[in-house]
Amino acid sequence: MKKGISLFLALAATAVVAASAQANHRTVASASAGVSCNSTFTLPFVTPLTGGAAFLGQEQMSWASYAVKTLAKSYGLKIKLVGGDTPVEQGATPAQDLAQKYVGDKSVVAILGPSTSGAVAASTQTYFAAGIAHLSPSATRTDLTKTVGGVKEGTPAFFRDVPGDYIQGPSDANFMIKNLKVKKVVIMDFQEPYSLGLASAVETTLKAAGVSTIRLSAPNTTTDYSAYVTKVPSDADIVFFPTQKPADAQTFAQQLLEQGKKAKVFGGDGSNDSTAFKVPGSYVSNFAPDITGIPADKALVAGWQKANPGKTVGSFGPPAYGAAQILMSAIHLACKADHGVIKSRRDVLRKVKQVSIKNWILGGTFKWSTKSNDPLNAKFYIFQIQQNGSYKLVG
Amino acid sequence: MDTFIQLTVDALTLGSVYALIALGYTLVYGVLKLLNFAHGDVFMVGTFIGFGVLQLLGGAASPNVPVWALITIITLAAMGGCAILGVVIERFAYRPLRDAPRIAPLISALGVSFFLANSMQLLFGATPRTYNTFEIGNGELYFKGFDIGNVRVPLLRIITIGAAFALMVALYILVNKTRTGKAMRATSYDREAAEMMGIDINRVIRFTFILGSALAGAAGVMFALRVPTTVAIGFVAGLKGFTAAVIGGIGSIPGAMAGGLILGFAESYTQGYVSTKWSDLVVFSILVAFMIFRPQGLLGRADIRKV
Amino acid sequence: MTDSTPHSSDTPASGPAVGQDEWVARHAERRLMRGGPLAAMEERLRAIPWWAWLTLFVGVMCLLPALSSSGYVRRVGFDTVLYMMLALGLNVVVGWGGLLDLGYVAFYGLGAYSYALLDSNQFHLHLPAYAAIPAVVAIGAIAGFLLGLPSRRLHGDYLAIVTLFFLQLFQTIATNGDSIFGHNVTGGAFGIFTVTPLHAFGHTLVVQHSGVFAVSYYYLALAFFAVIYVALRFVNLSRTGRAWRSLREDPLAAEAMGMPVNALKLMSFAFGAAIAALTGTLFASLSASVLPLTFYFVLLITVYTMVILGGSGSQRGVVLGALVIGPLLELLRDPNKSRVIFYIALVAGLLFAFRLSRRLGLVAVATLALGFVCRAIAGAIHHSWVAGSAKGGFQHVLSYWLIIPRHLAGWIPPVTYIGVIGVALALTLVRGRLRLALLPPTLYLAAFVWDNVMLTQPDPARYIVLGLILIALMIIRPNGLLGERRVEIV
Repeated sequence: MKKGISLFLALAATAVVAASAQANHRTVASASAGVSCNSTFTLPFVTPLTGGAAFLGQEQMSWASYAVKTLAKSYGLKIKLVGGDTPVEQGATPAQDLAQKYVGDKSVVAILGPSTSGAVAASTQTYFAAGIAHLSPSATRTDLTKTVGGVKEGTPAFFRDVPGDYIQGPSDANFMIKNLKVKKVVIMDFQEPYSLGLASAVETTLKAAGVSTIRLSAPNTTTDYSAYVTKVPSDADIVFFPTQKPADAQTFAQQLLEQGKKAKVFGGDGSNDSTAFKVPGSYVSNFAPDITGIPADKALVAGWQKANPGKTVGSFGPPAYGAAQILMSAIHLACKADHGVIKSRRDVLRKVKQVSIKNWILGGTFKWSTKSNDPLNAKFYIFQIQQNGSYKLVG
Repeated sequence: MDTFIQLTVDALTLGSVYALIALGYTLVYGVLKLLNFAHGDVFMVGTFIGFGVLQLLGGAASPNVPVWALITIITLAAMGGCAILGVVIERFAYRPLRDAPRIAPLISALGVSFFLANSMQLLFGATPRTYNTFEIGNGELYFKGFDIGNVRVPLLRIITIGAAFALMVALYILVNKTRTGKAMRATSYDREAAEMMGIDINRVIRFTFILGSALAGAAGVMFALRVPTTVAIGFVAGLKGFTAAVIGGIGSIPGAMAGGLILGFAESYTQGYVSTKWSDLVVFSILVAFMIFRPQGLLGRADIRKV
Repeated sequence: MTDSTPHSSDTPASGPAVGQDEWVARHAERRLMRGGPLAAMEERLRAIPWWAWLTLFVGVMCLLPALSSSGYVRRVGFDTVLYMMLALGLNVVVGWGGLLDLGYVAFYGLGAYSYALLDSNQFHLHLPAYAAIPAVVAIGAIAGFLLGLPSRRLHGDYLAIVTLFFLQLFQTIATNGDSIFGHNVTGGAFGIFTVTPLHAFGHTLVVQHSGVFAVSYYYLALAFFAVIYVALRFVNLSRTGRAWRSLREDPLAAEAMGMPVNALKLMSFAFGAAIAALTGTLFASLSASVLPLTFYFVLLITVYTMVILGGSGSQRGVVLGALVIGPLLELLRDPNKSRVIFYIALVAGLLFAFRLSRRLGLVAVATLALGFVCRAIAGAIHHSWVAGSAKGGFQHVLSYWLIIPRHLAGWIPPVTYIGVIGVALALTLVRGRLRLALLPPTLYLAAFVWDNVMLTQPDPARYIVLGLILIALMIIRPNGLLGERRVEIV
């Protein structure tokens, strides 16, 4: 038995060394060499592909791959999209490990993602120090691009193509105050960063307007909201439900009906999915109109659905498409300015803010805000679910 | 008062599902003295089997069979599928370790749990799956029902609670009134003596796993009829399930039933009356208190270690 | 009485100790003498003192940054050293104390959070390293002690449950700690994200230079590792170590012999927790943020696999376990490397099972032949069935043997996956010639599933591998690589 162990050890050691040797031959950092624009660029997508938030990462990945597949040629680039998994259960480590990996890889000139605000916070310093632009399609924590309470977690190399919580929260709250004339609102959060940020933003605005608010906090692993539904007072007008799982919003709305409560569910952009969340009378807010309703996107959506049979168009995916497009555009601009050889990643970083896209996937023209690394004039659209389940724009 | 009634109904619904899961733990612990950590993931697989069969039968919006038949078929399918899964797990992950130190099958169970959850993720992805029960017959399962005061108890909950109780009664009869049940009880008291008495231990253990896993499958369907399911629910469901089993007294069947209901009530009332944020904490503190002051739970036997 | 002390260089080769049966005591020697050149080499290796091994090991690890300037390699190296430290700590509780502690990573989290609270903007404290580190270690030890207090009367499964619930408790408190009586203590689900790196006497240990991970942290981790290893070694050789061993082997007899069983259990918990807390400090100081979800079930299983694989009870073993599993998990993220690893493991497994015998040759030839035949048939039916591999590289070479379709129909992954598991399990049930005959198709199917199903999602795939390793270890070799075979006395 011991002989076998020695043999096993020797082989295991060989395996590890051999496999890791394969890793290293491309990663010798040499600052002066440039990257030719004819070579294949690696575009890593740092997103949770496993774990509790995997539904987010996988949806975004499908859209990002679609973008790379259909658009890379038109920018004259060869792009290889690779996934970097940052499961939310593992905290900062995967994001930092991946950051190290990509910093050392010469063919990486920009990063798509990280998708989660936590991963951004963990790795943005590394990317900034290495001069790599990283563009997130979903990290909406306010202090990533703005200073909040004297703290700004983000760096100048971080961008996002969706508006932050600081826009969605007040926008939703103001709609509730002005259009719905609410008197009593129940606000829920799920003890994770996305919902906490939104819930707090909404609560502040509502309280300032004198609306009576009740705050309920559910553990992230809750699936049965019956007890919470019971706690909703019968005279509450709205339940603000910033979930990232449309199916949960549906369940909650159904249980409200089951218990005969008159409150309607108001979901954030995370609950935007017309096949999963369709209880009539509920509201959904999103940073873009439903892209299936944008005429310019028809061909695009059809193409995506063909490549992903059986899947529905959600709200997390299209921004990933847009983000990939912006990055490819930036690389293209850098290639043009550098005459075919990108000398440094900072060249790409500098070009990101110069990107502007007409007929952007989320509607209209995409431009950067001059004050922060957020999109310009970002606004939120509020929809109400109709009797037939379709989403109608109401605000 | 309405809140109280509503919370009680919630508690009964929750508690029934917990009780079914807890029964699986208790049955296996009784015969094998093993905490089957993989049980929660068997429950999760049950929800997916139910989903699959539901889709095969046409989906919730336009089922090919009447509603009663629909629910019965998917429950039976889930019970059957989980039973098979339970037997396979027992045969290959636990039987070789029957005479090993107690730590070995526990760790093997952890490995199985991990393996199951990630395999399901690999094969079926991370998107939540809903049974869309609301669409069955235009929401009749949600709107029809009987009223207690101002509170309506919808059909869906009645089905859940009713099915759970029916299964528990069936289990009770099976364990106490049949020969196989007697063999199970004998094995749980003293495995070696039972073997010497001529009881085929392998058969008994296999039967136990079939029962326990089938109950988990039924619990899965009951659960998923009301809320969406993902591949990640196994761990927490398992945790709650064996909290219930331990509170009631692990190894005791009425204990598991009682424990499940107690857990359901504790959770529901804490969320309703105290605070939703700390409900988990309260529940686990109750458990830890039990473990320290009364490890045998409410109805369990004190573990007498013979030297 | 079998000699259950760990193999150390100071076991005298002359005669057994007083009271030991000579024939039994010489059993180990006789077993070795049966060996061959390999066994003689092992004997020579065993004669090398442990501190020489440690020095050699640390020396080799120190050379790692010189071999590769990639920040990624250094970072993975650092993570592995952290895993080694965690494994050493868990070894104290599980391997030496015999206590199944399923809440171990909660101490890791506690250490990380404590450091974060002492050195961040949360409470605006910025303690220097020489104050923060001892404080955190002390907090860890106290927490371990506190967990041990109610667990004294529990054993086996009950202990496992209580410790698991402690893990859940920690998770719940950390996630909801943003409003404990109105104070934001743990930052809730956001965690604490303004943690400052280690600093002392005005110098800060920088985490990165231009984005590349700095070696100073790596060396610091190695230094801590060496210190912990040496300290534990001395503890193991002391009275406490011997007492722990007696507790692990037979708690009842130990108590009857007058061992302070409760005190020993508490000490075991406290030691393990202190080591975990120290590791947590290193982790937090460099992560610049601590999140609650990091310290949960997945990490627990990972550390347990390392300890079990290496052999619980053996310090060298758990370090080896961490060394194998840590980089392996990271390597398995990349499909290309994953593929290579699979085939190396396959070949190694076959060698291990069959040694160099005729049967091995038979199986190898049969598998290869079967592969070529199947691929030829598939290619003849429809060329897109074999056209799925990327140009160039190992996968392309492989596609001459393995069927790699361009598109996989929806039913293929679940069916083939369950199929390969079913066949593999069936393999364990049959014997002899039938088993040999079934082996080549199983291997081919496994290769097919690995390449086409599991490598498309490397992330759950690597956890599946971890789970399988745990199960297989428990069944085939519960004492791991370097552990001792234990017999539980009931």
